[in-house]
Amino acid sequence: MSRSTGDRRSIAQLIRIGLDRTEPVVEWIIRLCGWSAILFVAAIFFFVFREGAPVLFSGGGSESAAVADAEPSYFSLGEFLSSPNWRPDSEKRPQYGIVALLAGTMSVTVLAMLLAVPLGLGAAVYVSEFSGPRIRETLKIVIELLAAIPSVVWGFIGYMAIGPIIISLTGAPVGLNVLNGAIILALMSVPVIVSVGEDALRAVPDSYREAAIALGASRWEVVYRVLFPAAKSGLLAAVLLGVGRAIGETMAVLMATGHAVQIPHSPLDPVRTLTATIASELGEAVRGDEHYRVLFLIGIVLFAIAFVVNLTADVIVKGIRGEQND
Amino acid sequence: MTEHHSDRLEYFISASAPNAGDGSIERPWRSFNDALEAIGCDESGAFDATSSHREYEFVFLSGPAASFQPPARAQHQFYVNVDQHVGGGDGSELTPWSGLTAAIDGLKSLSDEGRLKPKAGECVRLSHRQVFSSTSVEQKKERRETIARYTFLGMAMMLVLPVVAILSYLFLQAWPALGPTFFFDNPRQGMTEGGIWAPLIGTFFLVLTSLVIAAPIGILAGVYLNEYAGDNWFTRIVHLAVVNLAGVPSIVHGLFGVGAFVYFANMNRSLLAASCTVAVMTLPVIITSTKEALAAVPVSFREACWNLGASRWQTIRTIVLPNSFTGILTGVILQVSRAAGETAPILFTGAVFFVPIPDSGVESLVPYGLSDRFMALSYHLWTVSTQVQNVPKSVQFGTAVVLIGLVLAVNSLSIGARVYLRSRKKW
Repeated sequence: MSRSTGDRRSIAQLIRIGLDRTEPVVEWIIRLCGWSAILFVAAIFFFVFREGAPVLFSGGGSESAAVADAEPSYFSLGEFLSSPNWRPDSEKRPQYGIVALLAGTMSVTVLAMLLAVPLGLGAAVYVSEFSGPRIRETLKIVIELLAAIPSVVWGFIGYMAIGPIIISLTGAPVGLNVLNGAIILALMSVPVIVSVGEDALRAVPDSYREAAIALGASRWEVVYRVLFPAAKSGLLAAVLLGVGRAIGETMAVLMATGHAVQIPHSPLDPVRTLTATIASELGEAVRGDEHYRVLFLIGIVLFAIAFVVNLTADVIVKGIRGEQND
Repeated sequence: MTEHHSDRLEYFISASAPNAGDGSIERPWRSFNDALEAIGCDESGAFDATSSHREYEFVFLSGPAASFQPPARAQHQFYVNVDQHVGGGDGSELTPWSGLTAAIDGLKSLSDEGRLKPKAGECVRLSHRQVFSSTSVEQKKERRETIARYTFLGMAMMLVLPVVAILSYLFLQAWPALGPTFFFDNPRQGMTEGGIWAPLIGTFFLVLTSLVIAAPIGILAGVYLNEYAGDNWFTRIVHLAVVNLAGVPSIVHGLFGVGAFVYFANMNRSLLAASCTVAVMTLPVIITSTKEALAAVPVSFREACWNLGASRWQTIRTIVLPNSFTGILTGVILQVSRAAGETAPILFTGAVFFVPIPDSGVESLVPYGLSDRFMALSYHLWTVSTQVQNVPKSVQFGTAVVLIGLVLAVNSLSIGARVYLRSRKKW
């Protein structure tokens, strides 16, 4: 009996010694995992670029010269960036211009932000400045749940619920249009705006509020005259992150904006966005042909937009934290 | 001569009175002139202006009225402030008259100049301006504040209400389909019949595999960022990478999955390729929440452990990780919810339109191998709602409700864990 406990102890000690011996190894594994984020971001760029870039350089846009000879190249970077014609399946001459798709993305995003920014910032102000602790917690949980609803469900809601409502209210011929996508995207990006905006407002030192109240300002005046100017970069970051979320959103806009490649003239026009184009056409494109590579090129464009937006937002937020530490 | 109305003195003025009275309802004054004279020779103290609670009301009568109803509110409001030793003032709230005599004098000149013409039945109220009472400016401010509060509340509610409405709409539409057979049947007849078992179990395996891949990497990365990384430019870049990884559009993650896992790593379109893609995508969720959970463990815990001679890894293993377990779990649960709902990354990396799987037996529980294509609930929702014709509405809504219920339930679990953690926090 005593022998067995002695054995057990020695086994436990052995394990402990083993764990301690392996400490350098474990630390290296931890380091590697820590660096993995950089690795993955680089890998995303590399692999998307690897699939898409050949079309930029080789003219044929294919791996072998034979295929390139068989399929003449129609791609040119100038047309890609300046033409509103997106006709990848054209028999005569495929055209790859992303201007209309970009216009689709921008129109939906801008309209979504027009809806989401006032609402989101208003809700952030309410949660941070006006509500009691209990309501604050409840609202934050609801907003968190709002953020958790998957994008395909949002798309479904747009497709099934909001589309018919738009048709019956406006008399538009199709319910899947810019407005529909914008409403969905607004609801999707609001949680980001609220939580980041609330953080920005809470980051304003209480002494600012106290000073303003001591001067006789009402709560609303504190918000309008003191908090907004003091937290403006944080609020800007909140809006930027909302924009980033809206631009990158795929399934919701795929289902809710209709499928017309065109530059929209009214909120009731159907459009197609960059993300929706990739999602709906990659399945049909053959690996290695021009269409396939151009879709990856759109991916690079999206990656670049998201990169710039997130970087800017992050720099702004970090800037605020730095100021406060000083 | 006066009536007491909770510290309010009422006087009566009637232009048709025969001669100067004493201001009572039976013998009203004829004008403010009479009132001024009465005050001049008053020695009874009825006009004691130092009492800060008194208001004076001058009610105008058309004649000696027997049945008089005092008006509910004063049509003409003026102020007097005896503590103000500066002369002048116009009786407004901001520049009140400096005394009662000055006030009546002011009223008299106002009515002489024709700027104050009370009709019969109206009343002129003279109030003591109280220092700590709200002025009209303040009242306006208060009103604005109330408006602002309710506007912001309305904005917050505009986020909550549509979601509640939409969710209840979805649930109502889905109600006819929901039942055990819906969960445990496979889709049949080109999705128009049967249930969602195949996609449900597919999503389960997708989430499980991606969790197995993402959780260790994410947790260790969080440990690195909070425990090992110094405050330097390199750490800053790692942070930026995490933020950007979280911000990359989901469809670009899908493209990455196609380029890296499906073709480069030769996984083809499979459960493994899709899981890897989803794992990379959800990594930031785990990293961020692990980091936060670790940061919540007080430094003194670590210092105590170091002082006993423990190394950094020993400290992490025995002190930091056990104390932040629930927080890390929160992040892992969030990853699960994210992974279950994503569609774009699995669109081209392994999820497919339809896979026939056995209806019963063990094989219906483990229908997909790592190298198989699979069905997933999110993809299935997209399929039945936009890609296939003639799918009954209840099936579409049922799929949506199951997906949303799954995700929200998992999320509520995470929120619950956090609330529990906060209530149990010992430091």
